[in-house]
Amino acid sequence: MKARAAAAALLIAATYGPSAYADPDDYVALPGVEYGERELELRFGTATKSGEDRASAASLAFGYGLTPWWATEVYAKYNRSGSEATRFDAIEWENKFEIGEPGQYFVDMGFLVELEWANDRAEGYELRIGPLFQKDFGLVQTNFNFLLERHFRSDEHEVTELGYQWQVKYRWRPEFEFGLQGFGDVGKWNDWDPHDVQTHTVGPAIFGKFPLGGQQVFKYNAAVLFKASSAAADRTLRAQLEYEF
Amino acid sequence: MTVRLLVAAYALLGVTAVLAAGEPEFAITLRDRQFTPAEIRIPAGVKVKLVVDNQDAGPEEFDSHALNREKVIPGKTKATIFIGPLAPGRYPFIGEFNATTARGEVVAQ
Repeated sequence: MKARAAAAALLIAATYGPSAYADPDDYVALPGVEYGERELELRFGTATKSGEDRASAASLAFGYGLTPWWATEVYAKYNRSGSEATRFDAIEWENKFEIGEPGQYFVDMGFLVELEWANDRAEGYELRIGPLFQKDFGLVQTNFNFLLERHFRSDEHEVTELGYQWQVKYRWRPEFEFGLQGFGDVGKWNDWDPHDVQTHTVGPAIFGKFPLGGQQVFKYNAAVLFKASSAAADRTLRAQLEYEF
Repeated sequence: MTVRLLVAAYALLGVTAVLAAGEPEFAITLRDRQFTPAEIRIPAGVKVKLVVDNQDAGPEEFDSHALNREKVIPGKTKATIFIGPLAPGRYPFIGEFNATTARGEVVAQ
């Protein structure tokens, strides 16, 4: 059964081109923007799947809150497969637009636009867009994003694929919050893959922030994700560290 | 199926987001790195609008873990912060850039 699922996933990847599956270092984007804030960010993720090489990814980024409603960030992305050397993967330009003020509407909303230039020209360009939602219930914060992703000028057949991210966390203390995170991809946006070739992961996550004085803040979040569908990685460890100043 | 339901539910939340209007408004002034008043009493169970007037030259960040709000307010500008509806209780906030002096509490009652 696993072999059939893996074969089907490979067939779909070969048929539809570069995968929209989330990178191991992907994170749950939040709708809020912090005006005037600069940040240095490090993301890291590593995923293991039975019978396959370990897939790892890391990103270094600089971000800035350009306006009260627009934050932009540029990433240098790296990846590594198995025992191969770490290689430069892509440059990504992320833009986040906050819609309204937090708490103004029934749900807090934002919109994400990411453009990625792959180092491997055969992968072309990648555009990822989608709405970001947040709803608080007292000390419980929930987020859900759905994101459309498409490659352009790639050597493979280009389709628009649908992915999602979510998290639920209990905001216990500023230094330590805990909850669950999940990521997934369902395939072509209007013609979803069979469930056994979709990728869904879910697992526990921790979050926190430490003021360093003045405008300096250190933030972290990390999760261990387990597969919730047979095509997903067995285990993914992901982390995001941010230094705001 | 679960994923479809989640997507549909959140899409519905987004589509049905209703414009807020007519919330009670409370003014807070930040001057010399201190909030005035330092204690703001608001009705419990009601969404309210805090209008924070930063009269200092430098920026400040209104920060409250209890309220789940972070908002940078440039110097000599005002910012609007929506909070609530809140259960009765005390909800501390700080000016994160001057956390030793800029402190206050929202009291929902």
